[in-house]
Amino acid sequence: MFGRMNRRYDTVVVGGGPAGMGAALGALDAGAGKVLVLERDGEAGGILNQCIHAGFGLQYFREELTGPEYAERFLAQVIDRDIDVMPSSYVTGLAVDSEGTKQVRVLNERAGLASIEAASVVLAMGCRERTRGSIRIPGTRPAGVLTAGLAQKLVNQKGYLPGKRVAILGSGDIGLIMARRLTLEGAEVVGVFELMPYSNGLNRNVVQCLDDYDIPMHLSTTVVEIHGRDRLEAITVAPVDAHLQPQLDKARKVPCDTLLLSIGLIPDNELARQIGIQLDPVTGGPVVSSTLETSLPGVFACGNVLHVHDVVDYVTAESLRAGGFAGEWSREIRRPKDSIQLVPGNNVRYCVPHTLSPDREHTVFMRVKQRVEPARLRVGGLMEKTLRFVIPAEMISLKIQPEMLDRFHGDRLTIDIDPA
Amino acid sequence: MSTENYVCIACPIGCPLELVHEGDQIVDVSGNKCVRGAKYARQEFTDPRRTFSTTVPIEGSNWARLPVKLAAPVPKDRILEAAQAVHQLRVQAPIRMGEVLARDLLGLDGVNVVATRSLGRA
Amino acid sequence: MRDATTCDVAIIGGGIVGCMIARELSRYRLKVVLVEKEAEVGFGTTKTNSGIIHPGHHTTLDTLKGRLVVKGNQLYDTLQAELGFGFRRIGELVVARTEEEVGVLREMEELAHQKGVPVEMWDQARLRREEPNLSRELIAALFAPTAGVINPYELAFATIESAVLNGVELWVDALVTAIDPVDGGLRVTTRDGELTAHTVVNAAGVFSDRVAAMVGADTFRILPRKGEEYMLDGRLKGLVRRLVFPVPNKVSKGTLIIPTYDGTIMVGPTAIDTDDRHDVSTSPEGARQIFDLVRGLCPSISERDTISEFAGLRAASDTGDFIIGRTAVPGFYNAAGIQSPGLTAAPAIALYLIQQMGEDGLALVEKERWEPQVEHPVRFAQRSVEEQRALVEADPAHGRVVCRCELVTEAEVRAAIAHGARTVDGVKFRTRTGMGRCQGGFCTTRVMELLQEELDIPFHSLTKRGGGSWMVTPMGEEA
Ligand SMILES: Cc1cc2nc3c(=O)[nH]c(=O)nc-3n(C[C@H](O)[C@H](O)[C@H](O)COP(=O)(O)OP(=O)(O)OC[C@H]3O[C@@H](n4cnc5c(N)ncnc54)[C@H](O)[C@@H]3O)c2cc1C
Ligand SMILES: Cc1cc2nc3c(=O)[nH]c(=O)nc-3n(C[C@H](O)[C@H](O)[C@H](O)COP(=O)(O)OP(=O)(O)OC[C@H]3O[C@@H](n4cnc5c(N)ncnc54)[C@H](O)[C@@H]3O)c2cc1C
Ligand code: SF4
Repeated sequence: MFGRMNRRYDTVVVGGGPAGMGAALGALDAGAGKVLVLERDGEAGGILNQCIHAGFGLQYFREELTGPEYAERFLAQVIDRDIDVMPSSYVTGLAVDSEGTKQVRVLNERAGLASIEAASVVLAMGCRERTRGSIRIPGTRPAGVLTAGLAQKLVNQKGYLPGKRVAILGSGDIGLIMARRLTLEGAEVVGVFELMPYSNGLNRNVVQCLDDYDIPMHLSTTVVEIHGRDRLEAITVAPVDAHLQPQLDKARKVPCDTLLLSIGLIPDNELARQIGIQLDPVTGGPVVSSTLETSLPGVFACGNVLHVHDVVDYVTAESLRAGGFAGEWSREIRRPKDSIQLVPGNNVRYCVPHTLSPDREHTVFMRVKQRVEPARLRVGGLMEKTLRFVIPAEMISLKIQPEMLDRFHGDRLTIDIDPA
Repeated sequence: MSTENYVCIACPIGCPLELVHEGDQIVDVSGNKCVRGAKYARQEFTDPRRTFSTTVPIEGSNWARLPVKLAAPVPKDRILEAAQAVHQLRVQAPIRMGEVLARDLLGLDGVNVVATRSLGRA
Repeated sequence: MRDATTCDVAIIGGGIVGCMIARELSRYRLKVVLVEKEAEVGFGTTKTNSGIIHPGHHTTLDTLKGRLVVKGNQLYDTLQAELGFGFRRIGELVVARTEEEVGVLREMEELAHQKGVPVEMWDQARLRREEPNLSRELIAALFAPTAGVINPYELAFATIESAVLNGVELWVDALVTAIDPVDGGLRVTTRDGELTAHTVVNAAGVFSDRVAAMVGADTFRILPRKGEEYMLDGRLKGLVRRLVFPVPNKVSKGTLIIPTYDGTIMVGPTAIDTDDRHDVSTSPEGARQIFDLVRGLCPSISERDTISEFAGLRAASDTGDFIIGRTAVPGFYNAAGIQSPGLTAAPAIALYLIQQMGEDGLALVEKERWEPQVEHPVRFAQRSVEEQRALVEADPAHGRVVCRCELVTEAEVRAAIAHGARTVDGVKFRTRTGMGRCQGGFCTTRVMELLQEELDIPFHSLTKRGGGSWMVTPMGEEA
């Protein structure tokens, strides 16, 4: 239950979002006796608590829930199963002793700076948003330029508008959802500006968040300058050419008092980096084996800290698996070492996990570099599949059966996604 | 015969739908991967409706706002009106997830305002 | 509005120069008022610079700035012990690529000897050993160990805190609009009330010529020169351990690599003349200039690692030098045109100016008690695990993390507000909340809640940095 914490656990989960809660359940299902979830915020649920819109849980709960509903239902299961959940607990470090026992260092106002022992650890710290600095928009630095996620928190949890006349840079789902949210609350959304020639958000969100409210989406357009001394007064936008370079002769000024940035998410991996876990420079998350184990034995990762997912159901599925393997680890069950390296080939930006083993079924998540319509997905010479279309914003999930890997004798399996 | 094109919003896949009709008469729906898509296209053609989520001010809790949703969709052209009506609500902690805060919003049958999380007293 | 009041000395401008003058004057039995137009001190050029305490061998002895910089540098150890701001002497390297440039290093070495600045010539082997990530093309360097890096805003906050502790009155949000000679001195009209002072000091930075013009003492003009700076991701900490300057020439314009006090690598600044005194915008050309130059010094630095950027205005005067001291108007003094290295020179500027004021008859009678120390802020993230443990035990608010990128605790934020922070930026520059890679994505709301709570002002009245920089607006029904 809330607030109880021992000194030793079989599995400790860092982060109490959907990934963390899923991992905890997975660990318990795999036979871990005592499981602890450490959450930095005052309550579990992660980013779902601020995502008040519907669209979660179609696969896991078989109905369309809002973020808080998904979180609350999930948490009820977790508590029901006697998993310890410690909110307001910030994990500041992780060490492994000579016996392989993990020491999780956690900061909590009542427990102080405590050290907790665990046989296995699951990293589930989620992600953060890309900011203005990461795309370097020239101009002044007034108030009123903020990430879409921060705006979401201000509106949904604090009950304040970030501004009255809002422009949105980037067509990620959070930005699209905020366009509708702000409109419903009486703000004027002047437009969404997207660098790429296609939306980065789901089509359904373009329809129900923009089209329904006559909010224009300007594709192949970007913000090239920010104006205003104290508060944002306007932005200059310009169309981009085929090389994504702004055409400044076609620039125009758009008056607005707020600019939301919805330009992508990055795994929040400070902790992993600190303890020397190997990271994949493409995903920004740890390199993991088919058991979702990181380069540090007995430390697993799942959810947005591993790679950014678009829907929470994928997060849940992945974290149940990661938790399962972490639970097994705590019971000293060791799986055979993976023998196959998974290699992103043509038009594949990344695939997770990074290695496979022929002894069981795998779910591989991947993203493409470029939009292709229709597309042919090939896994080595083993299988082929036609997809209606692929875009970078939508993760592809692929099941690989053990029978298939049995037929494979190499050690590198390449995945290509080419035009069909 | 003419056609209408929609994007299904019933799930994240977002199938492109094509609805063929003869005046008010629907002749065919295609492009959907599942039955919900066909249903959506028919509804969208005859009487487009939407639900939405928003928040209402809550007193006596650690939180300033309680997230809520509509239990049934409202006609698309009445969304803003419905949102304004929801924003007039005031609630008091404690609230349980699923609690109905208002019934038949704007006189629309079944359009109840439902709490989407529990909030205890501060 | 404040009631009209009188004082011995009014200082216009709460940049580092104004703050240092205020603190130095607080040693004496004088009533001193500092008036600042912004919501907090240090929000002008003082918070947007490279944060270097220069050793002083880049400027010749024939200018005031060339003389005051060396003195200023020497005063920093005592200041830090008293005021507890972030400051460390990490040393500076001027690096040469050609034999011709080595010749320039030799000249600088000579100048350093003249000015009493310790320096050391390094050959290529030494340079590679000490700074292995610098370009292999560099062949020699002049090392100056007394160069330091500083968190300049912390310096300004601590300096004014010390001044206020010793009796100085601080007026913020008090733009000076007029100065008129009256009986008994000069009347200073501000947006927040009037004040009659025996002596007025103009430390108004880029606006110092405008302020001088208010009493007809405008014998100079400020020609603002903008400098852009780019902060890089914390991942690059340790890439370079000392300040790295190229040999000064027309192209380099003083651009360099700065391992800041907090370890984050910063690159900049540019030097671009502008006539807009509010223009602190950054530009694609600025970025290009800097990164092109810096890549030549350290090839692994990339624009893609930028996490934030800013620009500041140097208050360069048309005389090319600092303008410090008495004017034709009795009682009116300038500390104007304080361009680079003004931060370094500021403590020396204060002493130099006050000496003149004394010569002109200002009664400099020392107080019986003057408190040099201020309480040093606790930086939780910088403490050892043992110390952190003790901190949480003593104050549970240290167990609540506000900014997770920089590990700033609630106790730190509350302390910052107790010590004068009134805005989101005020908290940020005192504690580092929102300075990390998420740039406030997670902590901004929490910081605002704490400001609301501690200052007892409505959430929607909070600002980023005062004035019209509002953060949020109430929703429909409350608007
Ligand atoms: C702003 C935003 C909006 C989003 N909106 C949607 C959406 O509308 N629909 C959708 O399907 N997906 C959305 N996503 C993606 C969504 O995050 C995932 O679907 C899902 O919530 C990810 O789950 P997670 O558990 O991996 O991460 P999170 O939900 O982010 O949970 C991670 C948890 O770890 C905690 N934590 C982090 N570091 C530590 C530490 N050191 N110690 C202790 N605890 C720690 C955090 O406080 C957080 O609670 C959004 C993401 C963001 C960032
Ligand atoms: C890019 C850049 C890099 C630099 N790097 C370095 C460095 O590494 N080392 C170094 O030593 N120096 C450096 N400098 C120079 C240094 O920052 C300045 O010399 C120093 O900050 C000047 O301080 P100041 O108090 O004179 O000015 P400011 O900090 O600008 O203070 C002037 C104050 O006066 C206030 N004011 C103006 N008009 C009025 C009015 N009418 N009424 C009331 N208040 C008013 C302003 O709001 C402001 O707060 C750099 C400068 C720049 C721009
Ligand atoms: S038709 Fe079915 S599968 Fe396709 S988007 Fe609609 S609900 Fe999803």
